[in-house]
Amino acid sequence: MASPALGVLFVCVTAAASAQSSVLLDTMSEELNRNFSTLKAKADPAPYFLSYEVTEEDYHGVSATLGAITANGHGKSRRLDVCVRVGSPKLDNYHQVRGERTQFTSGALLTFEDQPASIKHRIWLETDRAYRLAAERLIKIRTNSEVKVAEQDASSDFSSEEPVVRLETVPHGRFAADWAARVRKLSAKFSDDPGILTSSVSVSYQDETKYFASSEGNRLRYGRGFARVVVSAQAKAMDGADLATSETFEATDPGNLPRDEVIAAAVERVAADLRALLIAPEASPFAGPAIFSGRAAGVFFHEIFGHRVEGHRQKDEEEGQTFTKSVGGKVLPDFLSVVFDPTRKKAGNIELNGSYSYDDEGIAARPVTVVENGVLKAFLMSRSPIQGFDHSNGHGRRQPGLEVVSRQSNLFVESSQAVPEARLREMLVAEIKRQNKPYGLYFRDITGGFTTTGRQGLQAFKVIPIMVYKVYPDGRPDQLIRGVDIVGTPLASFAKILATSDRPQVFNGYCGAESGSVPVSAVSPALLVSEIEIEKKNKSQDRPPLLPFPVEGR
Amino acid sequence: MTPAPRLRVSASPRLRVSVLLLAFLSPAAFAQPTPDTLLRAMRDELSRSRGLKVLSLEAPYFIEYTIEDGDSTEISASLGGLLSVRHNRFRIPEIKVRVGDYKFDNTGYVGSGYHFGTHYDIEGFPLENSYEVLRRFLWLETDSAYKSAVEAISRKRAALKNVAVSQPLDDFAKAEPLKKILEIRQTPLDEDAWSARVRALSAIFEAYPALRTSAVELSAVETADYYLNSEGAEVRIPDNMIYLMARAEAQAPDGMALHDAVIFQSLDFGRLPAEPELRRGVAAMAASLAARAGAPKGEDYSGPVLFEGTAGAQLFAEVLGRDLALNRRPVMEPGHNGSVQVSELEGRQGARILPEWFDVVDDPTQKEWRGHPLFGSYAVDREGVAPVPLSLVEKGVLKTFLLTRQPVPGFAGSNGRARLPGSFGANSAAISNLFVRAAETVPAQDLKKKLIEMCRQRNKPYGVIVRRMDFPSSASFQEVRRLMSNAEAGRPVSAPVLVYKVYPDGREELVRGLRFRGLNARSLKDIVAAGDDNNVFEFLNNQAPFATIGGASYVAESCAIAPSVLIDDVDLHALDEELPKLPIVPPPDLRAEAGRP
Repeated sequence: MASPALGVLFVCVTAAASAQSSVLLDTMSEELNRNFSTLKAKADPAPYFLSYEVTEEDYHGVSATLGAITANGHGKSRRLDVCVRVGSPKLDNYHQVRGERTQFTSGALLTFEDQPASIKHRIWLETDRAYRLAAERLIKIRTNSEVKVAEQDASSDFSSEEPVVRLETVPHGRFAADWAARVRKLSAKFSDDPGILTSSVSVSYQDETKYFASSEGNRLRYGRGFARVVVSAQAKAMDGADLATSETFEATDPGNLPRDEVIAAAVERVAADLRALLIAPEASPFAGPAIFSGRAAGVFFHEIFGHRVEGHRQKDEEEGQTFTKSVGGKVLPDFLSVVFDPTRKKAGNIELNGSYSYDDEGIAARPVTVVENGVLKAFLMSRSPIQGFDHSNGHGRRQPGLEVVSRQSNLFVESSQAVPEARLREMLVAEIKRQNKPYGLYFRDITGGFTTTGRQGLQAFKVIPIMVYKVYPDGRPDQLIRGVDIVGTPLASFAKILATSDRPQVFNGYCGAESGSVPVSAVSPALLVSEIEIEKKNKSQDRPPLLPFPVEGR
Repeated sequence: MTPAPRLRVSASPRLRVSVLLLAFLSPAAFAQPTPDTLLRAMRDELSRSRGLKVLSLEAPYFIEYTIEDGDSTEISASLGGLLSVRHNRFRIPEIKVRVGDYKFDNTGYVGSGYHFGTHYDIEGFPLENSYEVLRRFLWLETDSAYKSAVEAISRKRAALKNVAVSQPLDDFAKAEPLKKILEIRQTPLDEDAWSARVRALSAIFEAYPALRTSAVELSAVETADYYLNSEGAEVRIPDNMIYLMARAEAQAPDGMALHDAVIFQSLDFGRLPAEPELRRGVAAMAASLAARAGAPKGEDYSGPVLFEGTAGAQLFAEVLGRDLALNRRPVMEPGHNGSVQVSELEGRQGARILPEWFDVVDDPTQKEWRGHPLFGSYAVDREGVAPVPLSLVEKGVLKTFLLTRQPVPGFAGSNGRARLPGSFGANSAAISNLFVRAAETVPAQDLKKKLIEMCRQRNKPYGVIVRRMDFPSSASFQEVRRLMSNAEAGRPVSAPVLVYKVYPDGREELVRGLRFRGLNARSLKDIVAAGDDNNVFEFLNNQAPFATIGGASYVAESCAIAPSVLIDDVDLHALDEELPKLPIVPPPDLRAEAGRP
């Protein structure tokens, strides 16, 4: 053991063995049984449920700017999430209490080697830590429920589900060594553009394997890869406005990322868009008809609709509960349906970021029709039941280190009133004329947005478009504008959707909420809306750089 | 671009010989020094930036570019399993722009050092030497630093309309521009060998089931520090450090949480102790912590305390070291409540702060002491100033302070001690190699007898020996916060780790759970005896309370060389806190696991 040479040999052996070994899962199960049985026998309050989730990540990434590498790294990690439930499924330590956010797990770093002693010791420590917090909170909750008025939703705190045992063989992609040379070359394409202040091309690959064991008998190993290319550029307009454009490509295997020509074309587009934005006029506040491209519509739906059908929000009395009482009622126009389906791996030939086989509570992924022909049918469910929905539908998700809540997966907007894109544009022009507006809007790209679902805030959303065009009814070419945000309230906005195109587009991204950042997708056709409101974006007051671009040395 | 620096300095034949010798030893030295693109880009963009100004606003009078260009390797393991292995190639630029003049500028205001306005979206500084790209990044960073400086000086002027400054001091002292370009050599770390070593060291703890947690961490950083300023300073120096730490926590039967760490460190990758010595050090720490967990609780005590061995050097490093730097209060808007840690020694130059048989010298220029490499040596500080040896205390009298280029009451002009980033646009002074010398000593082994004798005279049932302090602290951040908030008046001092009761018959008893009360730089006047020993204590200093390990992102390699000291009147009080319960589930049987195939 003491000799370094022996030690090195040892690494090689374990690394090879851990490729698909069950040492980790076996060790987790053994320590789970030992902790659970002892706590059950000796602890007061006793736990009725214990689970361990380990997220193993093999990460590679390289970034470059203007032909020079800025970061190049790789790493391996395993993080442990412990869930201890004390009390009973009816009332346990995870019970939602107004204004409180529960946090028991810590996402502790576990050895990435298959070393049972090290693994077990850390699991034991984390179980002890989580158990203490759980017991303390249960006592507080019991007191709280005696002092406060009854909650409107008297659902249990934990659903009963069938345990699953399944050890999948997780495919491992290979991160090619030539990526550094490729991003160096690709990023150099921004060099000719003095107006672009900063830019980058980066590629990353995360090979993720999850291991799950629970006192109910779950034993799972599954996973997937997340490969991504991000092309981005930033500039500052003469009036101080900060401008940014970007494009991304996603795949499960880095081998399926696009070829250099395709990425180079994206670099061209990102640069061209930014150049165009630099000279685009600043827009004025406006309300009128608009088209959202499929990608923009996907983000729009994710923000203003998706977050409001996350199950746990329906029983949190701090939440706005936009749709809580609407099950069976009409929430969208008749021609629209919304399905969340983590089991679909692709849309067209684009791989979807929000696909998975199990959620973070060990529940098998499945499609969930949330809205059918405009009528609300279901919510996205974790194992936290709500009135009328006793079971999980495989949408309990988290980033390691945070507690699971219900989250979105792959969102699909489906339409029975789909027309070709050209026809949708004609309909927009007709609508502009009908409303007697000087112009309408076309939202080509939206970076993201945010929405308040809490009761204390406004029940409103803001969506941040990058590429917005004025569409004139008289046939003049579209005009790019900048400096606007889309604002609105959800219920009013849904009622104004008039039609969709027949060509779905994919937006792959990461969504941030209580349980951290999780990969998601949104797939939607373009939407025509009768009215949307834009407001001026808050902008920097600073001037562009005072000194000119540095000239070349010699 | 850069002329061969080795040839330039080797004007004397003697030097040339030594250079040649070095060249034979290190194959890397054969390589011709390559033109330094980074240095050239920094020089050119800095020179262009002097032209910065906005109509009606002042031009910069001082610009400074610092880039740390390096590689770091971090390896951690627990109980025989690697937790993480990270290699990081980095370039950390830090650009400072001063507007106004040396008398009055944008620093020393409560908002100085904050970033106002534009922040260019710079994800990472280029790691490759593309001249144009480097220029472009420096250009943007200088632009935003300048805009922040202009904003800060106007806010400072506005604030001064409403508050009066009692002691008007200049904001910045002039310094001789230093030119020092040293050759940078790469000595890559053998990552696989070190991973195996860290893993093996972490497995030592399997034999100590009484310890609750344990981990071994290695950090090796190899850097070239670049420093250029508009006064003409140009510096490039190597700055390397390797650091190995084993830390552990235990819980006593009554629930009291205890922790300890053992650290090995060197400025030279090749000079960490060999593996057998590392293993012995880790095992000794583990055994000592396990013994402490089983030891009885200490009681309140007031009387003579012997700081023996390492503890003596730790005491000087902490309570004297931190107070030898002065912090200047910033200009604040009225009603703004900003507190600045005031040194116990402020205003006491010329006064006696130690017994008259004590001298204290801080000397970063000394590289070795009695064959032992000194961890606190450095060539140039964070402000491009070459440090000089400083006689801080002569015959017990405080002569001067550790100074940066920020003038403080009574002193203007740096002595090259800007070692850590400070507040409000300034740097903080800190010690390097602190030599504490006593002219009158007693043999170290007689100090215990002297302690017993003092206790006898005062009818005390026992005396106290402290052999090690928790400095720099290996406590968790929660514990540090608790210590700081529970602290009574004055700055709290680190807790003692190894505390022994000494009975009149010489018998010793290890106790746990004691803290100092009221121990500070003024207590050093009560030193009654010093040993003839010299204990070398090396540590990574930082700005966090107790220099808590990992508590701040910038560190300064430091060293204190001091004798054991006996202090007359020290108060220790027993920890009185709610203690966590012991785990319900016993720990897993590690030895059974380790034995498994």
